[in-house]
Amino acid sequence: MAGSFGSVNTAASALRYHQAVMEVASGNIANVTTEGYARRRVVGVSVGAPAQPAMWSRYDGHGDGVRVGSVDRLVDPLLDSRTRREHGAQASLDTRATALARVEASLGEPAGAGISKALAAVRSAWHDLGNNPDSGAVRAQVLSTSQGLVTAVAAQRHNVETEESDQRISLLSGIGEANTLAGDLASTNQAITAARLSGNDASSLLDQRDTMALRLAELTGGTAVENGHGGLDVTVGGVALVAGGTAGALSVTAGIHADGTADGLPLALAVTPPGGTATGVSGLAGEIGGSAVLISTTLPALRAGLQDVAQQLADAVNAVHQSGYDASGAPGQAFFAVDPSAPGGPLVLLVDDPAEVAASGIGGGANRDGSNATALASALASPERGYQQFVTTLGNDVASIRRLAATQQNLTDQVDGSRDQLSGVSIDEETVTMMQAQRAYEAAARVMTTLDSVLDTLINRTGLVR
Amino acid sequence: MAAIGRVTQTMLTDRSLTRLQGSLSRLGEIQEQLSTGRVLNRASDNPADASSAMRLRSSIGAQQQYVRNAQDGVGWLDALDSSLGSAGDLVRRARELGQQAISGAAGPEAREALATEIDQVRKSLVTSANVRYLDRPVFGGSTTGSAAFTESGGTVTFAGDANPVNRAVADGVLVDVSVAGPVAFGPDGDSVFDHLGALSAALRAGDLTAVRTGLDALEVDGKRITVARADVGARTNRVEQAGTRASDAELSLTNALSEIENADLPRTTVALQMQEVAYQAALAATSRVLQPSLMDFLR
Repeated sequence: MAGSFGSVNTAASALRYHQAVMEVASGNIANVTTEGYARRRVVGVSVGAPAQPAMWSRYDGHGDGVRVGSVDRLVDPLLDSRTRREHGAQASLDTRATALARVEASLGEPAGAGISKALAAVRSAWHDLGNNPDSGAVRAQVLSTSQGLVTAVAAQRHNVETEESDQRISLLSGIGEANTLAGDLASTNQAITAARLSGNDASSLLDQRDTMALRLAELTGGTAVENGHGGLDVTVGGVALVAGGTAGALSVTAGIHADGTADGLPLALAVTPPGGTATGVSGLAGEIGGSAVLISTTLPALRAGLQDVAQQLADAVNAVHQSGYDASGAPGQAFFAVDPSAPGGPLVLLVDDPAEVAASGIGGGANRDGSNATALASALASPERGYQQFVTTLGNDVASIRRLAATQQNLTDQVDGSRDQLSGVSIDEETVTMMQAQRAYEAAARVMTTLDSVLDTLINRTGLVR
Repeated sequence: MAAIGRVTQTMLTDRSLTRLQGSLSRLGEIQEQLSTGRVLNRASDNPADASSAMRLRSSIGAQQQYVRNAQDGVGWLDALDSSLGSAGDLVRRARELGQQAISGAAGPEAREALATEIDQVRKSLVTSANVRYLDRPVFGGSTTGSAAFTESGGTVTFAGDANPVNRAVADGVLVDVSVAGPVAFGPDGDSVFDHLGALSAALRAGDLTAVRTGLDALEVDGKRITVARADVGARTNRVEQAGTRASDAELSLTNALSEIENADLPRTTVALQMQEVAYQAALAATSRVLQPSLMDFLR
């Protein structure tokens, strides 16, 4: 037996323990909506006989109550790393889908006021010129609709270029954020190590650590592995960005100036590991990876596609225009030029005098033949098909990336769900835990009262005769 | 959804929000279709259909243009027809006058009167041959001048050229809507104008043999004009038919485009109704699921 007051201690341990349970439950309830919070659970351990108190001693008690064994933070590192991977892929696809959808919307096809409409106006003007080759007004109309076409092509190219410059800026700001996060994660790693050494509860720090690692994965698609001291080491593209308490840096080595303008070189990214030298990385996921794909592949391809359309237009129109004769009977000049660096390019209208429009197919002096204008109207069919193909290809790309993003979203949702199943706070559960603790606390208090009255009997009433 | 082990309030809230969002975005899609009247609002909505829609729209534009071209061509041909019609009448009148001189042994005054009338006929015929459509002489080919035939010193010469005036009335179909002057009125030196001049001169000289020769030549001229007129008539038919075909084609292409591009109104409206009901149900379900917790039952 552990003496008269042993049971009082046991009851006191129960009071302490259940108070701890209620404290943790109230903490869980307080953080029910906190982003990145993983629920905690108190693991109680019954205090029993010591294994072998002393050489010849023996323990004759029946347990000394309960104590808080540990406060567990309910997470699954495997699930966390899966979450990071899916979020990285999701962010990359979302970035690409959003940018492409913007470009597509700005095309204004198939029913809006895009290049198709401008082309139709040009064709109609050439036909009218074929009918009225001597009308100065119709000649001017051909030039003004052609200028309209040039403007429409330029507007499309401008849209693509704007998107490119937006993506460059967002890539730079993403890299800035990633580097800040890497630094923060490194110092959090340090704090966790320190807390572990001093025996403090590091749960809140671990929440922060996981939140930062998830955001880093969303930005870069980097993978994180727990090191031996409770911190997370992050590698981006196979190169260490965060190692223990030190952080490296992600940087752009070529392709973008610091002010967000293009420098004409292909985009190159590099990671400088802590204490190491910059190593080129490629194939990143996350927002930065998505932007990188857009900047280095998708958007330049679109720009090239538009220039291709412009080239087809210029070739088709020039070939016919140069085989005709203008108002004075002189051979037609080149009508369009393709100059990607021109301010209003890539298509440039070369003819500005209505009299120089080669409507006639018969040379050797002025005449009112309009056969070349009619031929030119028909020659527009081929570049028009080229443009339609361009739009269809873009539409297919947008639809496909949107489907990919939607599929990935299912996966991401599912992983988020599993993670929340494990780590999310359930108010009902916490309420039940609280009530359990409350009842247990009341019972332990009652034990105290009972013991008190037992002792009262022993101390105050023993030997009294009424 | 895989079996759910443990459900938390956050999960419920997140899922409810995601699903409400999904429901609302579907509602938005239907609303867009109804308000634009189109199911095809951007290429990615249906890339294959978008490509067809663009091709159809371009073809519709082409057909509209063909209708306009045909109308312009018919204008040319009508001008030709009326000019050739009056030219035929004038030649017939000249032949009657010539016949009168032969059948009735007219005196010099009477022959002079006939000759004067034939000169008038010749003048009218020159005016007819110089008829213009939209300021262009219809018998002049692609000439830049304002007349197909010019008269100087009593001789009428062809001032135009024989280039065709083509109108595109269908894909790759060009119809010449002009008649070159010599085809209708004979070549310079052997033209109807020369024959009329010779006839009036023969009448004034009282040379009946020459008058007969002139009348024979005029018969040939009259036939030539009739043939030209018949040819113009045939081409008018062809151009008009092409115009009708183009407007028919425009109509059927517009139908095809509408089938691809436009929203089926009843179906979309029903879909909107259903989606509305679904959204309201989702809202109601969400409010019921999110409300209660154990707290409500612990009082």
